[in-house]
Amino acid sequence: MTNEPSKPSKGAFDAVVLANKQIKERFYRLGLEFSGDGAAAFAKARPGQFAELDLSCIALPPIEGIPEDLLDATQRKILLRRPFSFCDVTTEGDKTTVEILYRVVGPATLRMSTLSKGDSVSIIGPLGNGFSIPADKKTALLIVGGMGAGPLIHLAKALTTNRPSTEVFAFAGAKTAEELPFEKQLDKISQGVGFSLAEFAEYGIKSFVATDDGSAGFAGPVTKCFSDWLKQCRVAAGDTIIYACGPEAMLAKVAEIAKKRKVDCQVSMERMMACGIGICQSCPVECKVNDSNETIYKLCCKDGPVFDSKEVIFSS
Amino acid sequence: MEEKTDTSVDFAGLKLANPVFVVSGTSGYADELADFTDLNRLGGFITKSITLKPRKGNPPERIVETDAGMLNAIGLANIGLDKFIEEKLPIIEKLKVPVFVNVAGETISEYVTVVERLATERAIAGFELNISCPNVTKGGISFGTDPAQAAEITSAVKKAAAQKPLMVKLSPAVTDISVIARAAVEAGADALSLINTFTAMAIDIETAKPVLANKTGGLSGPAIKSIAVYLVNKVYNEVAKERRIPILGIGGIRTASDAVEFIIAGASAVGIGTANFIEPGCAVKIIEGIKKYCARKEIKNIKELTGSLKA
Repeated sequence: MTNEPSKPSKGAFDAVVLANKQIKERFYRLGLEFSGDGAAAFAKARPGQFAELDLSCIALPPIEGIPEDLLDATQRKILLRRPFSFCDVTTEGDKTTVEILYRVVGPATLRMSTLSKGDSVSIIGPLGNGFSIPADKKTALLIVGGMGAGPLIHLAKALTTNRPSTEVFAFAGAKTAEELPFEKQLDKISQGVGFSLAEFAEYGIKSFVATDDGSAGFAGPVTKCFSDWLKQCRVAAGDTIIYACGPEAMLAKVAEIAKKRKVDCQVSMERMMACGIGICQSCPVECKVNDSNETIYKLCCKDGPVFDSKEVIFSS
Repeated sequence: MEEKTDTSVDFAGLKLANPVFVVSGTSGYADELADFTDLNRLGGFITKSITLKPRKGNPPERIVETDAGMLNAIGLANIGLDKFIEEKLPIIEKLKVPVFVNVAGETISEYVTVVERLATERAIAGFELNISCPNVTKGGISFGTDPAQAAEITSAVKKAAAQKPLMVKLSPAVTDISVIARAAVEAGADALSLINTFTAMAIDIETAKPVLANKTGGLSGPAIKSIAVYLVNKVYNEVAKERRIPILGIGGIRTASDAVEFIIAGASAVGIGTANFIEPGCAVKIIEGIKKYCARKEIKNIKELTGSLKA
């Protein structure tokens, strides 16, 4: 037997940009290629895990192309890394490709949008726990709020690959059709369930769309769309699992629905964080201690970002 | 070939292989960094603050990035003394570099209890007295802004520390930092570390609320570097030089050049803080950079560089 040195499960690596495709206004899909130890570490990246990108040295886009509401952001320098989850991870030979779905919202993502093929990016990861996939579930329900799409697209792939007998449905919501982070044009989306979102249809997963303003799919919050569906469908609570990623108010609502229906539910939380590796203690998620009234702060980066919805005390 | 620089430093009775520390709250209790860097290459390691009882810390948000800096209001979240001894000491024991335990509390007796309990642990080289945390309501910074209180707590903890060196971490939030520095030194401090963060605030203009749940936080990062260099130089000139007390210079150090600035200003050693969040392991790069600087300047012993600021 040979004793090969063990490869690190996480670390700081440089990745090369393969593509940075704009999928619609302000939404991009960034492809990053890892080699060597980075490829080995990221090959094992699970859906729901994340990485910290150093975007501080990337140039801004030309000022004339920047939307007015982001002009102030151009004056801000970046200090800390920014955390992103993955929407896909693929391994081929000794290279691993990681894809990140992101939205341009501030100084860091504005810089990120200028990355182009061949650029190098410093990345720490993969970090956090990721979603767990129990073996005994026949139905998995994915609830997406806005940019929560990324890790659930990644999870959709893992579910269909590793649990082909599990039936999966996705419910995706945003304020407006423009804010749904999916590539496909949404104007033709019908109100009913269907293969309307290509990102899920690719894995044979049917999806529902909801927008607050009714500009695509169901008019109203995705949680309403989801709970309406849940009422009329016949999934057995014990055979079902809910996975959710999106704004905290949405996660709180999903957790409430899951509790009422006695369905297992995992939520991916978000917090502002600095290090991403459990050192700075800046990303607390308040959690119940067993069934007591006592609570503790777990860390979103290290203990999460995925939590059992039953343990989280959502902030209002 | 150029002669190799002697980068070893005498620091509060300890011999350090080089002058670079990672500072409290930015490198955990050492285990978290194993995948990223070889901590044994550091000059010294300072743990996250330990209090007698575990502390939950502040609610979120606890941090926000600001211009060239960040605000944090963690609230001294930590596992408490008992768990520290049980879970973290065995990890620290394996480190080959001197480890300072940063100690915080609400009352002098809490500080004393923690230090007394740890004073006999061989794995611990010394203590850093946190009397400058801006993010807790009791204790912390109030000990560090009044010279009489600073002296009282320093003297009590020094006694508890027995043979181990005591470093006192100073707040910049005072009218004259040298007054507090002098009080600490006269009360028995073996070293001074400066500076801790500045109390600061960031406001969300959409909600007109402070971004941090604690309302205010401590400002760190490159934004405070030049102020820290000035204060190190001031304390060096007014207190430390004459008393032969080493200074650990802290505040926004990201590169070897930053570190050298602090050493020229009067620091015997430097501490890397916020930069660890961006590049875990950057301390090792900074050590290499300091060596290159010394070689280029033909400095045979890094001690020559401390306080070498020219008029």
